[in-house]
Amino acid sequence: MLIGLLSATPVVAQSEELLPEGLDISFKLIPGVTVVGMMLLFLGVGYLYKVANTGDMWVAGRSIGNVENGMAIGANWMSAASYLGMAAVIALSGVYGLAYVVGWTTGYFILLIFMAAQMRRFGKYTAPDFVGDRFNSDAARALAAVTTFLIGFVYALGQARGMGLVGMYVLGDITAVVPLGGLSAYQAMMTLFMLITIGYLALSGMLGATKNMVLQYTILIVAFLAGLLVTGWSAGYSTVLPQIEYGMLINDLSAEFSDPFAGGSYYLWIATCFSLVFGTCGLPHVLVRFYTVQNERVARWSCTWGLFFICLLYLSAPAFAAFGTALYGDQIGAVYGDPGMTGAAGDVIVVLATQLAGLPTWLVGLVAAGGIAAAVATTAGLFIAASSAISHDIYANIINEDATQRQQVLVGRLSIIAIGVLTIIFALDPQQPIAALVGFAFSLAAIVLFPMFFLGLWWENANRQGALAGMVSGLVLWFIPMLNEGNFGLVNGGDGWGIELLTTWMPAIGSALVATPLVLAIMIVVSIVTDEPPERTKMMVRQCHSPDPMPKDKTAADIVAEKTHKTPPADD
Amino acid sequence: MYERILVPTDGSRVANAAVDHAIDLADKYGAEVHALFVADVEAVNYSLGTEQVDRIRQGNFQGMSELREDAEEATGYVKQQAEALGLQAVERHAGGRPHSVIAEYAAENDTDLIVMGSHGRSGVRRALLGSVTERTLRSTHVPVLVIDYERIEE
Repeated sequence: MLIGLLSATPVVAQSEELLPEGLDISFKLIPGVTVVGMMLLFLGVGYLYKVANTGDMWVAGRSIGNVENGMAIGANWMSAASYLGMAAVIALSGVYGLAYVVGWTTGYFILLIFMAAQMRRFGKYTAPDFVGDRFNSDAARALAAVTTFLIGFVYALGQARGMGLVGMYVLGDITAVVPLGGLSAYQAMMTLFMLITIGYLALSGMLGATKNMVLQYTILIVAFLAGLLVTGWSAGYSTVLPQIEYGMLINDLSAEFSDPFAGGSYYLWIATCFSLVFGTCGLPHVLVRFYTVQNERVARWSCTWGLFFICLLYLSAPAFAAFGTALYGDQIGAVYGDPGMTGAAGDVIVVLATQLAGLPTWLVGLVAAGGIAAAVATTAGLFIAASSAISHDIYANIINEDATQRQQVLVGRLSIIAIGVLTIIFALDPQQPIAALVGFAFSLAAIVLFPMFFLGLWWENANRQGALAGMVSGLVLWFIPMLNEGNFGLVNGGDGWGIELLTTWMPAIGSALVATPLVLAIMIVVSIVTDEPPERTKMMVRQCHSPDPMPKDKTAADIVAEKTHKTPPADD
Repeated sequence: MYERILVPTDGSRVANAAVDHAIDLADKYGAEVHALFVADVEAVNYSLGTEQVDRIRQGNFQGMSELREDAEEATGYVKQQAEALGLQAVERHAGGRPHSVIAEYAAENDTDLIVMGSHGRSGVRRALLGSVTERTLRSTHVPVLVIDYERIEE
């Protein structure tokens, strides 16, 4: 199993210093320029399309098409976890890693069928907004906001680890030049890139979001696919279609790579997959685009295109992992067993593969820069989702209802600094690889938010008490396996309780398989035994499924208000 | 002397304090009152998310129900006060950086006077929260009448 596999690697290398073996750690000018150039390009294009003053907001502008929306979904989605982590988990744990490919694509089907269009009809700004308005409760809104913040934080831990590891390839060990109070090379690099991310966020506020994301997606996918094609070609593994041709390598790779369930039990595979599928449907920074598209038809097609653009990367990641594993085995040593490939080396397998294939530095640098850019862009999206949860949902909706726009900006900025600092502190010593860290965020989304969205949209009798009971028990259920396995280093100095039964049947990475049905059940039972929600709420839920087309400028609440001939009552 | 008076408003008490002054002046001079609400794009980005910024750009303001309600409430208050005295009132909802939108609007619409409220903040609070009024002063050539909210409190 994944966790077991990692603890089989020398523990010292894991906790004391993250140093990917085999990776050329030195300052490289061209890759460094590539990283800086890529970030500047993002800012530059964003500036070209920056939000000009809109003199009259009632005049319709140009709308964003399905393909553009799909690419933006792809860019927002493609983080260090997809770019680096997925190939890493396949390289380290073989078939187990495919749970990520399957989980992260299947999730979009569930989203497409059950949620994208309905979300658009409900018409809210943020995930906590939806939860607060659907269940008529500020407590529910606050819980959803806290969960959103927590998801952003855990997700960002994985991104920070990715930035730090790949950053070492690009800029080398900066602590050798400037001693930074005993920080290791990884820690210094991770901190540096997290600070860059926060700076990027401060600059990118006014920029045209969608255009910028389309560009980000294009650059990332080109860097990834070019890296894969050239690596496969020059190492002689493949010609023009490495995504299929890597199959010929399977027999040569170790059994750990190709044997089903050698790197993780059948149960763990299913549990991880389940968490990732339903976590995808509950991730606030993914759902946010569906509230804003023009109508539900665009919502559906954007989802479909998003899936297509994501698949381009996901069909390629296993090939990259296979090439990386083969090259590592040839040039560095046995991939599996003792000592084997470390988690740190695994997490940079995409960069390592291009380097080991003997490609020129600029090309390896391009692949590395793509990994960093993916991490920075997604972290920016996550941090904005977290800041809106705090400044809009908690501050402006609950604490200070008369908050001015400037006050919201201030609270938003402070919460971004807070989540940034938290991420840096906890990412100094990440105990898990990128894919696992991000997987925890998916478990959380699947356990706490997915049931709220799913039952909230599909069952009109789901009520406030049910939602509150569901979210509270969901948060507890998520924390138990997390602490049991010693994440966050909070229990027993990072060893956790280590309860064997829990580790086997409710692993943190797949805890949703047990917890999500439990939360759904709790929510249903509590909703049944308590009072039904008000008629207005029920009508809103029905409106989300009405066969009549809805005007694009109305939300379900508007329609219900029109039907009942009165304005909707204020939230309690 | 004053034919068109512009009142930028976000619906806050500070802004509404300025409305009384503007209406009184408009009544004396028989001026037209322009009520302008500016959705601060930066605030939208931090509090509602980057996607919503695009939405403003696309002109899908109608679909943004909460912001729309805020805007209508803010300018509606001005219109109501003006019409009670039989004055002409124009409502406008815009998005962008407030001070530059206000300056642009004033220039385009031959405004004679801008009346706006200020918190009268100083020190750290001013540095952190800034002042739209102060920035407007620096971006426009139109006369600006600043109503200090703190003074009114006394």
